[in-house]
Amino acid sequence: MSDQNIIDGCIRHSRKAQQMLWKQYSGYLLGVCMRYATDRPEAEDMLQEAFLRIYFNLGEYSGTGSFKGWLRKVTVNTAITYYHKNLRHKHHTDIDDYVNSETGSRGFEEDFYTAEDLYRVLNELSPGYRMVFNLYTIEGYKHQEIAEMLGIDVNTSKSQYSRARAILRKKLDNLAKLKGVYT
Amino acid sequence: MTEEEKDIDLGNLFRNKLEENEMVAESDLTGRFMRRLDRKEFLRFNPARFNVWYLAAAAAGLTVAGLLVFTSPRNGDVSPGDQTSQPEMKVIVSDTEETVSTQNDKITPEVTETKSASGAVKAEAAPGGVTDRPGGIITTAGAAENKITVKGFGQKDASAVVTSSPIAFIKASVNTGCIPLHVRFTSPEAEGFTTMWNFGDGGLSSVNNPDYIYDLPGIYDVTLTVTDTRGRLSTATTKIEAWAGPTASFEISQNDQFSDDDKVIFINHSAGAVQFVWNFGDGTFSTLSDPSYKYRQPGRYDVTLVAYSENGCADSLTINDAFTDKGSFIRFPNAFMPNTGGPTGGYYNYRTDMDNQVFHPVASGIAGFNLKIYSKAGLMVFESSDLEIGWDGYYKGQICSPGVYVWKVRGTYRNGQQIVMAGDVILLNY
Repeated sequence: MSDQNIIDGCIRHSRKAQQMLWKQYSGYLLGVCMRYATDRPEAEDMLQEAFLRIYFNLGEYSGTGSFKGWLRKVTVNTAITYYHKNLRHKHHTDIDDYVNSETGSRGFEEDFYTAEDLYRVLNELSPGYRMVFNLYTIEGYKHQEIAEMLGIDVNTSKSQYSRARAILRKKLDNLAKLKGVYT
Repeated sequence: MTEEEKDIDLGNLFRNKLEENEMVAESDLTGRFMRRLDRKEFLRFNPARFNVWYLAAAAAGLTVAGLLVFTSPRNGDVSPGDQTSQPEMKVIVSDTEETVSTQNDKITPEVTETKSASGAVKAEAAPGGVTDRPGGIITTAGAAENKITVKGFGQKDASAVVTSSPIAFIKASVNTGCIPLHVRFTSPEAEGFTTMWNFGDGGLSSVNNPDYIYDLPGIYDVTLTVTDTRGRLSTATTKIEAWAGPTASFEISQNDQFSDDDKVIFINHSAGAVQFVWNFGDGTFSTLSDPSYKYRQPGRYDVTLVAYSENGCADSLTINDAFTDKGSFIRFPNAFMPNTGGPTGGYYNYRTDMDNQVFHPVASGIAGFNLKIYSKAGLMVFESSDLEIGWDGYYKGQICSPGVYVWKVRGTYRNGQQIVMAGDVILLNY
């Protein structure tokens, strides 16, 4: 079943098409949600919200551009909404995490870390840092755009990004030490 | 490796590993989501998804409706035979006649109509019933509800509740008067209703019997609106005329009260008045506008003027002890400084008094006057029998030296009293 068939089916509220869409993309979008969530249950909540949005707004997909990209965009927007909704329940800035100094002197070897490792260090970040890091590094938004999306200052976005980076480096280094490969 | 390269490296790590990473959504998550989707789809009714759920909901709805219909109270408690024995009741309200009959004892008929002028409502039982009111007349005053019960044969009674509708009626303690006009408004029929007064000058009140004061002249339309709880309302209006009041004011002329033949002239400054009554304080009255009067005896008199406007509004002004102050006295200053430019002749006026260059008394009620001034050596340097001329500090064209000089005055007041006074005055260094 092609993407277009699935889309048409979902617009007709065809149960079969809905199931196909879920089957095809839930894994990928769950991976996206995992980057934005604190833990797996939160990611699953986000995923459900995102899919509901996708189903009821499929009519708005213009057909131009990648369908996968559109799905990801809706999911990221859902994550941002989720972040805003839950903002007051979380610690916004975790100052203890902020470490300026760098101990490692080498690059990060891709094969050394698993996806699960990377999810874990991301999940441990405070929600604000994680949000900015994701949007900037992976989604590729500019700081100006991120500031508008999150309703924060451009400088806040920049400083949160650099702190998130520093924390991530430290965490990855520590992880390497634990794995006993770091010499 | 530079910091920058390390950053790029870090970004690449996350991007490459996670951007396209797929996870596995477990089957229980899939199931949970599908159920949630179904709920949402059901709530956003969509014909495309019409399925057994909508059928089930419709069936459930019909069942509930059916149950409600079949379990609702039935009329079976009262048989047709009972209904014929129901008493009927006629309630005659004003010119309208309403027959109230009861279908079963659960219904309480309610009769509400405009109250008759007399405030009486007549209720009579139709054949087969007896009212509990002898003669069937009830008086409905105010908002109170009156209940008439008709006894029927058997156990069934019928009753009607009669409420009078509101009647606005204004009673004002006065309708015309002078400002400040105090009016006590009463609404005898408004007991128990909601009242709203508009006093016509912007004032409002919701008190049943308000007191109101009009402080500006004018003709005011007072409106009373009486409303009952059902929203029936009645209004009444009346006019209140508040008249402007006069202002009494007068002045007593400079003419002395006790000069031999001069009369005292009273100058009337009253405004808005057409009629006057003067009381000169010695038992004599005048109704002239600007009277003059000669007192027979010197003394203390209170003069009162009462001014009346066209409408009879009055204002009064009393000057207490009108003449004593300017009656009879003579007072001397104790120092002065002559004008060094030459003798002035001793004439003085308010302007030279400012410079204090002439020594003279301040006096009133003087009939005769003689002032002599001596130096310490006993030389008489000045003498005057004219109150208008004081001492300019010169003796034979020469200015006198500074120091203490002694004065003596003899004379009489107009009331006959003798004046003999002495004192000293300092001629200040010039």
